Amino acid sequence: MRVELSFTVNGEPAELRVEPDARLVDVLRDGLGLLGTKEGCGNGECGACTVIVNGRAVCSCLTPALEVEGVDVLTVEGLAGPGAELSDLQQAFVERGGIQCGFCTPGMVMSAHSLLQRNDSPSEGEIRNALTGNLCRCTGYAQIIESVQDAASRLRAKAGKGGGRG
Amino acid sequence: MSSTLEYLRPRTLIEAWDLAASRPGARFIAGGTDLMVRMREGKVQAPALISLRHIRELTQIDVGPPLVLGAGVNVSDLQANRDVARVLPVLVEATRTLGSVQIRNAATIGGNLCNASPCADLAPPLLVHEARVRLESAAGMRELPLEDFFVGPRASVLAPGEVLRAILVDAPTTARAVFLKKGRVQMDIALGSVAVLLETKGLVCVRARVAVGSLGPTPMRLREVEKTLEGATLDDGTIALARQAAEQDVRPISDVRASADYRRHLAGALLERGVRALMNGGRT
Repeated sequence: MRVELSFTVNGEPAELRVEPDARLVDVLRDGLGLLGTKEGCGNGECGACTVIVNGRAVCSCLTPALEVEGVDVLTVEGLAGPGAELSDLQQAFVERGGIQCGFCTPGMVMSAHSLLQRNDSPSEGEIRNALTGNLCRCTGYAQIIESVQDAASRLRAKAGKGGGRG
Repeated sequence: MSSTLEYLRPRTLIEAWDLAASRPGARFIAGGTDLMVRMREGKVQAPALISLRHIRELTQIDVGPPLVLGAGVNVSDLQANRDVARVLPVLVEATRTLGSVQIRNAATIGGNLCNASPCADLAPPLLVHEARVRLESAAGMRELPLEDFFVGPRASVLAPGEVLRAILVDAPTTARAVFLKKGRVQMDIALGSVAVLLETKGLVCVRARVAVGSLGPTPMRLREVEKTLEGATLDDGTIALARQAAEQDVRPISDVRASADYRRHLAGALLERGVRALMNGGRT
């Protein structure tokens, strides 16, 4: 028996009817057609389904859909600007080769986004720690780390901060 | 198809107990990091899920003494809590190895314990501090040692409709403690973990508490190891005996992650590393 769910996704209100045990990943993909969020393992180990719920990165495959009632959810579709221009972080992934097959990328970008929101000068260790829950089988991670470092320096430059640890 | 017909979000414990009483077979759910997977695999079925995420009574922290941690305290919040880090640093140390950022952002301390997995990362640090658990249902409240809470793999003493309300630790001593965990990488489920708490006078150990995870059917204390250490001078001979006792005291299984023999070895090795780290000022 489906029940009402209303929440905010990428700044827009969303209202739909969902099964009581639906997972957030299914609501995003099947209910709202937001296919950027990927489901890899379905067990909370690969991080491909990472989205930001109330400011925190979580696995949407482990999040009961009804837990986002009245809550703000940010998915990879919400990072680009109003004219669909990529965010600094996304642009850095493109330019630094942080993407190969692309399957892990939305989750990787959301975890990195969450880190950079809290810390615009993360050390390599802090970046690695923030991405522990995101598996990539293509890049070997080096380019991903560089992408996040590059994004951090772009963000600092915009904020008028030079140097830093990045 | 799933058989879950209701997902309920009570705001108070009384409401949660009422909902549970009228729905036989209902399951409480907190962070869901384990239950969601088990339900999807069909290992757990529940006609109703009762979320404990919106109950304020479960998220309180009082550094005490006694330290009282609401069972609903989120693991990321626990990791960032400076007051808890001051009075129970080894618990905060253990949160760092519990899964990934995404898992910690959802998981709760109570969920980690109620799940009653032998590998619960927060159990060994709490066991060496002789933590107690406060269980509450509509029928009343009871407290018992955390050690007696676990009865087997994925089994605890929680009765239907009963909720783990809080975890209590009496005045933490001046004793120092460490938590060591072996996984392939940090976020892994532990192949084995050991928490050691030592109180020493000079080189003599006056109090020892040792607890392990993933090295038996439940997280558990290693009493033979504690007896070997207490009253003894912490020299190479004592450490070798304690190491032997650890290898004998654990009850590991072989599974996809490691063999029982390897886990036995791990028990001794982690114990020795823990004891030496504490003698060396807590550096691991």
